[in-house]
Amino acid sequence: MPDTLQVNNSSIRLMKGDITELEIDAFVFYAQHDLKLGSGFGTAISLRGGPTIQEELDAIGSIGTTDAVITDAGKLKAKHIVHAVGPRFQEVDLETKLRTTILNCLKIADSKGAAGIAFPAMGAGFYGVPLPVCAEVSLRAISDYLCQETGLKDVTVCLLDNREYKPFTDQLTTMTASSAKA
Amino acid sequence: MSKQTRSYNAQKVIERMGKKLNRQIVGSLTACVHCGMCTDSCHYVLANPGDPTYAPAYKADQIRKIFKRHYDWTGRVLPWWVKAKSVHSDEDLETLKDTVFGKCTNCRRCTVNCPMGVDYATFNRMARGLLVSVGIMPEGVAVVSKDQWEIGNQMGVLKEDYLETLDWMSEELQDELKDETAVIPVDKEDADVVYSINPREAKYDPRTISDAAKIFHIAGENWTMPSEGWDMTNFGLFSGDDELGGAVARKLFDKVTELRGKKLVISECGHGYRSTRCEGQNWAGMDVDFVMESSVNTMLRYVKEGRIKVDKSRNTIPVTFHDSCNNARSCGLTEEPRELLNLVCENFTEMYPNRAENYCCTGGGGAMSMSEYTPRRLKSGKVKAEQLAATGAKIVVTSCHNCVDGLQDVIRHYKLDMKVTQLVNLVADALVIPEPVEVVAPTPAEVVAAVTAEVEKAVPVEADAGPDAGGSLAGYTILVTDDEPDFVVFASAILEDNGAKVLQAHSGEEAMEIARRETPDLMTLDLGMPGTSGSEVFEAMRNDPDLKSLPIFIITGQPELRKLIYERDVRKPEGYLDKPINEQGLLTNIRKVLNVSRT
Repeated sequence: MPDTLQVNNSSIRLMKGDITELEIDAFVFYAQHDLKLGSGFGTAISLRGGPTIQEELDAIGSIGTTDAVITDAGKLKAKHIVHAVGPRFQEVDLETKLRTTILNCLKIADSKGAAGIAFPAMGAGFYGVPLPVCAEVSLRAISDYLCQETGLKDVTVCLLDNREYKPFTDQLTTMTASSAKA
Repeated sequence: MSKQTRSYNAQKVIERMGKKLNRQIVGSLTACVHCGMCTDSCHYVLANPGDPTYAPAYKADQIRKIFKRHYDWTGRVLPWWVKAKSVHSDEDLETLKDTVFGKCTNCRRCTVNCPMGVDYATFNRMARGLLVSVGIMPEGVAVVSKDQWEIGNQMGVLKEDYLETLDWMSEELQDELKDETAVIPVDKEDADVVYSINPREAKYDPRTISDAAKIFHIAGENWTMPSEGWDMTNFGLFSGDDELGGAVARKLFDKVTELRGKKLVISECGHGYRSTRCEGQNWAGMDVDFVMESSVNTMLRYVKEGRIKVDKSRNTIPVTFHDSCNNARSCGLTEEPRELLNLVCENFTEMYPNRAENYCCTGGGGAMSMSEYTPRRLKSGKVKAEQLAATGAKIVVTSCHNCVDGLQDVIRHYKLDMKVTQLVNLVADALVIPEPVEVVAPTPAEVVAAVTAEVEKAVPVEADAGPDAGGSLAGYTILVTDDEPDFVVFASAILEDNGAKVLQAHSGEEAMEIARRETPDLMTLDLGMPGTSGSEVFEAMRNDPDLKSLPIFIITGQPELRKLIYERDVRKPEGYLDKPINEQGLLTNIRKVLNVSRT
């Protein structure tokens, strides 16, 4: 099963691990509207990264669905965190909103000059986006973005476990086969 | 009301209900004859006799009416006759939330008392899951669920903190047994036992880990603890989220499989035992090829097989036993704990009613995480308090971490003179340590762990450390903050006797002033102080540039206030203890925090 896909001069890569421990230009956090870090990955970010991240978010205030903002990553190994509010809990137009959210994350990371960015399984798990939907929308949005001119060279999807990993490798296999035919 | 005027969330709940209906749920939704047999079986009803909305049949009807309206022909044809009714708005869903989360702990006592076999808890859980799927749930349920989804355990314990706690417990065990091989093996492959725990143990009650380690070590067990996938609790059981249930169970099962473990032993936790051993494979949609058992069975077998020797004369204080609802009613684990209790305690008194008829500790079904319902929960604890008091026991033993917290709340609220403990603690206390300890040859991994521990011990913690260097608090300044003078004197005496310089504050304002002036190494903080509350002081200090790095150790007699601390968007406290405290517990935890803060 492939775990990478080359798109122009960039690559999409799948991996398993803890996204908050990656040494990378930026990683994405599936944020809340009020930008409070809260629990889950928010716990890891606030404990490992220190209080400056939340302080920076407090200065921004709040954002709407599909919006993304970027902060420093405090004491984490990453340089930046992209905080993005995606759709949640069977929200209407879920797939469209998820795609827009992912594209906004890529744009804001690009604008900061990031060469690498990591995504979690966006909205899967607590927020209830089904994993197959998450995998298809995420990988297609990333691939489409990388077809344009961009400074992003490495887009990683960092997944928690085998349960999350499999639908993404399935989707990557489908896309690899399509690109081979093309 | 037409479909067009129904809220989006209400429509989604109705649609999803159809996918959740199985034979068991439909049977329970249709079989009720409203005979009332369930009414007096519910501890909420017994504590609120004038309020019919707590009656299981009434609560069940709030879900049943939706089923009747949309999925049962009687409700479609004769809705007025069978009281079929739909939900139309998000307010309707909020009302349903109040019932399914706030008026039931899914303890299933009504189920065992229903002549028709209606399992209300099962479809109450279904209703919880339907609400969670549209984002309607108590805040605490959201917090805990997200932690378990993303961090991998329901208390958000980071991997480094978990491993550090295991290291710490290994060191304590080595010191206690004077045995360098007495370590907690992590990720050891081909072990006969893989031991999984409740994150509460790593976060608040590490003595249960060291006690279990001591028992495994003395029994000569070939055992290990996993570095990941170690949480055997499963909030999916409480939230009704089968996806979460499956993800958590799979994480645990995958790790045991990866390590080629032969048996998964589940530490004492009612819902953990049920969700891992009884429900996990269904939720995860997978079979496992290893055995699963409760640590109660493991300990009992060790005693029976002579692998450990116990001396019951070491546990003389009168004890009683509280059956966890999940262990007793859902899994039939009733006799083994009693057999073990009689082997390690001299004076065991039964509580009535007991076994499958026992009353809930009040903390079941995730109730401990739903602080908005705490007053109701404590009021419903009247039944439990009367049960406990009638035993005359001084210690209540339970095989469930959730019950430990629930019972402690009840004991405090109703001012009972009792303590709560678990079987693992009593077995460890009764354990006869052989001299010399006979151990199997250590594996290479154990040797590495032992050598590492030796190297770490060789590094002096303090320049003037004496023979009791590991325990001495000399050189540390600790600020004790509490409005109860007796407590301040008690805690100060313990800390001073162990070498610490102690400062005292009796209010939040005074604590902040002293902390700023004296820059102590650690501060203990009571939450329930008059004036500026402990939680306000905590947040203010965390946001104060001069004070935010000061380690804060919460010591409170009001654990229901815990949530006020943990929900704040500031760094979490470095430690937490419930009152009443004891000397050993205070010192062990203070030492732990100081080590953390100084490295």
